Amino acid sequence: MSITRIRTALAVPAALSALLIAVAGITALAGSPGFQQVVGEMMIRAVVVIGIFIFVGNSGVLSFGHISFMAIGAYAAAWFTCCTLPMVKTLYTPGLPHFLLETSYPFGFGLAAAAGLSGSVALMVGFVLVRLSGIASSIATFALLAMIYVIYSNWSSVTGGTSSISNIPVHVGLWVATAAAVGAIAVAYLHKVSRYGLMLRASRDDPVASRAAGVNIMRMRLIAFVLSAACVGAGGAIYANFMGILTVDAFYLQITFLTLAMLIVGGIGSLSGAVIGVVFVTFVTELLRMLESGIALGNGPAIRLPAGTQEVILGAVMIAVLILRPAGLMGGKEVLNDAYE
Amino acid sequence: MLHFLQTLIDAASLGSLFALSALGIGLLFGILRLINFAHGEFVAIGAYALIVPSANAAAVMFIGEWQAAPLVIAVSTIVVVFALISDALVFRRLRRADASTLMIASFAVGYVIQHMLLMIYGARPKALGLWSDLTRVLDLWGLRVPLLQIVVILSTAILLSALVVFLRHTRFGIQMRAASEDFAMARYLGVKSNRVIGLAFGISGGLAAIVSLMLVAQTGVISPGMGVNVVLFAFVSTVVGGMGSLPGAVFGGLLVGMATSFLQAYLPADIRPFRDAFVFGFVILLLLVRPSGLIRVKALEQRI
Amino acid sequence: MADILLKVSNLSVSYGRFPALRDIDLDVPAAAVVAVVGPNGAGKSTLLAAIAGGIRTQGGGITFAGEEIRGRSPESLAALGLSLVPEGRHVFPSLTVEENLLVGGFLRGNTREVQADMERMLRYFPRLKERLDQPGGKLSGGEQQMLVLARALMTRPRLLMIDEPSLGLAPKVIDEVYDILFGLRMAEGLTLLINEQSAKRVMRFADEIHVLRTGRIQLSARTSELGDEQVIAAAYFGTLRAREEMAE
Repeated sequence: MSITRIRTALAVPAALSALLIAVAGITALAGSPGFQQVVGEMMIRAVVVIGIFIFVGNSGVLSFGHISFMAIGAYAAAWFTCCTLPMVKTLYTPGLPHFLLETSYPFGFGLAAAAGLSGSVALMVGFVLVRLSGIASSIATFALLAMIYVIYSNWSSVTGGTSSISNIPVHVGLWVATAAAVGAIAVAYLHKVSRYGLMLRASRDDPVASRAAGVNIMRMRLIAFVLSAACVGAGGAIYANFMGILTVDAFYLQITFLTLAMLIVGGIGSLSGAVIGVVFVTFVTELLRMLESGIALGNGPAIRLPAGTQEVILGAVMIAVLILRPAGLMGGKEVLNDAYE
Repeated sequence: MLHFLQTLIDAASLGSLFALSALGIGLLFGILRLINFAHGEFVAIGAYALIVPSANAAAVMFIGEWQAAPLVIAVSTIVVVFALISDALVFRRLRRADASTLMIASFAVGYVIQHMLLMIYGARPKALGLWSDLTRVLDLWGLRVPLLQIVVILSTAILLSALVVFLRHTRFGIQMRAASEDFAMARYLGVKSNRVIGLAFGISGGLAAIVSLMLVAQTGVISPGMGVNVVLFAFVSTVVGGMGSLPGAVFGGLLVGMATSFLQAYLPADIRPFRDAFVFGFVILLLLVRPSGLIRVKALEQRI
Repeated sequence: MADILLKVSNLSVSYGRFPALRDIDLDVPAAAVVAVVGPNGAGKSTLLAAIAGGIRTQGGGITFAGEEIRGRSPESLAALGLSLVPEGRHVFPSLTVEENLLVGGFLRGNTREVQADMERMLRYFPRLKERLDQPGGKLSGGEQQMLVLARALMTRPRLLMIDEPSLGLAPKVIDEVYDILFGLRMAEGLTLLINEQSAKRVMRFADEIHVLRTGRIQLSARTSELGDEQVIAAAYFGTLRAREEMAE
């Protein structure tokens, strides 16, 4: 492989990673702790949205259920790494098996468990999902979201039910989160340029022709589904070890809409779309949040938006994008428009 | 035996609700290929139309105090108007879009509506006593049956019959069925697309309004998120019954209602909270065996 | 000189960047039978769909009975008397034969008129009468073709456009269809614009013929003036030019 080809091949993930690192750098230097928290969360959302892209962007099948993998991953990480106070674990999650209850494992264990468990669940559910038509499978993913929500809300012995699990050790700060996002970019890009990603995209663009060319659509979808679930699960683990506290309610419709909005606004068809979408929507929502708390204009009166406008505007933006530019900000293309597109 | 019959009536009542919801979804899917995530919010709008707009914890009745007939008409009209507005503002501009785009757009519409309800009425669930005398329990040959359940079952039967008559024996109904099967061909024959689509949103909205009234009467509580479960079970019912088939939607709704009620009645108490998870699991297994649902629709099958 | 019922001038249609039709000029005189022939992919279906308002057009003009109609919706054109029977039959599969016919009839008139029209159709197409209550999807290919013809006729068209009526049908059935079309033309005074792949079949029936290949009209003539079928074949297959070159 010539140098030029390697350079071209790496250009896109490098550029995207550079963007995120730059944002992190500026935040670390100039940002308040509150702002660092916001950007940290953004990096975590990037991991999740990139994970969703691995499946949705390449297969063209919409999924409303990926946040269930985030929940699975987050709680798996909590089971392994909790708690900062040793006695507390038996109070929160008495139903866990002994090897979990008696020890707190390091971050890496939690991360691996999260990816592994999410991937396994995805393998089982995905087996059925990939056999369904696009629309039916999208509905099935919505049912999956609800199913995990119901299970986790009621399985109190293991998830705390409707109350939260706190005292999760905070292993993740701004830079670890950014590193995770860069890692996700790498994984997504490797999949995209691999034959699995290529064949999957062929099936998205022309299912009949690709089947005639020998592409096993179901298998390609399943591979992408499992990989994307593992990525989103890892995102959940990082979330758990970043926030230090978990509630099942955090993994339902609100975050599902937010992550999908990020992917749609950025552009569902490309990895760059996922990343740009996360940054752009975070920017917009933060701006709106500040407006909701009220900004004073110099000496004049403060502008203050009523609470809840943030979500309404985000929804309106998403609708506008769907009507006016359905391919999103990136139009389905990667940054630098490299030779592989 | 008694317990079984009791559960059967429960199942019929719940199944009726699901069937009506699924029908609302199925109608729009048939004509527009739109899976309407906002349908649940139409249901919520119907419920909130009953009270005076305010964020107070206690709900003050507005339309909720009217006589039954004008109440039903008013609520239905309000929901239908919102349905038509959402078509005019959003879905009309997406006529040529693919099914995924339509789905996400309706998800966004639902999200916006839900948050607007949140802004106006507050997030807290409100208690609402609608037609509370219907919750009276009748004693029928040893069975204890809430009157409301009988009302739900009968109204659904009447609505479904009316719909069948409409679709089979009226001009607009036949045109709608034709448009559902082959929209382009129907247009070539002079069927007006705007009229058919407007009718579809109108009927779908009307069904949402009826479901919302039944829900409010049954649960006595309204909240901005009340539509989410409705729409979830409606979707699942259409997938089970067979997407694109209206009888399939009804059948799917009844089946899912039955599964839910029987699981509720016969699951051991400690597993009962997981009832919905079982229903979805059962649906996923069913799809493994019959991916296109129980009633297959030829028009949707890919021709190569 | 007969009135020109349909006048297509300089019509262009593109699918994205792909030009499907370029500079199409075509006249359909009233009460005439005009045929458009050409190989697969020539643009015949695109032409008819464009005239009927089913696809977007990029340039040119289409006049029907003196009115400019390019860009109008299919349903408004049906109301004007322009009816298209698209390729592939397109019955409404779960609607009965009777309901299929009714959909065509709803465009016009009150119930009594529609009933009278339906009875007339059933006289032209007796096979449909036997199958009145059966779902359209259960009919044989030939019966479906008759159904969609009858259904289009229920809209009382002034111009009936038919896209490949013989596609997928057995020769005997094709004969039957064309016999009925011939009879209809006499009885109803219809103007017909027919697409076919096979020129031979439709030439016996048509007054004028246009050969369409790769989006352009290669040859337009009155069938009475065309003695040599080879000329058609040449335009059809594009061998006309090649033969001239070889002769030199």
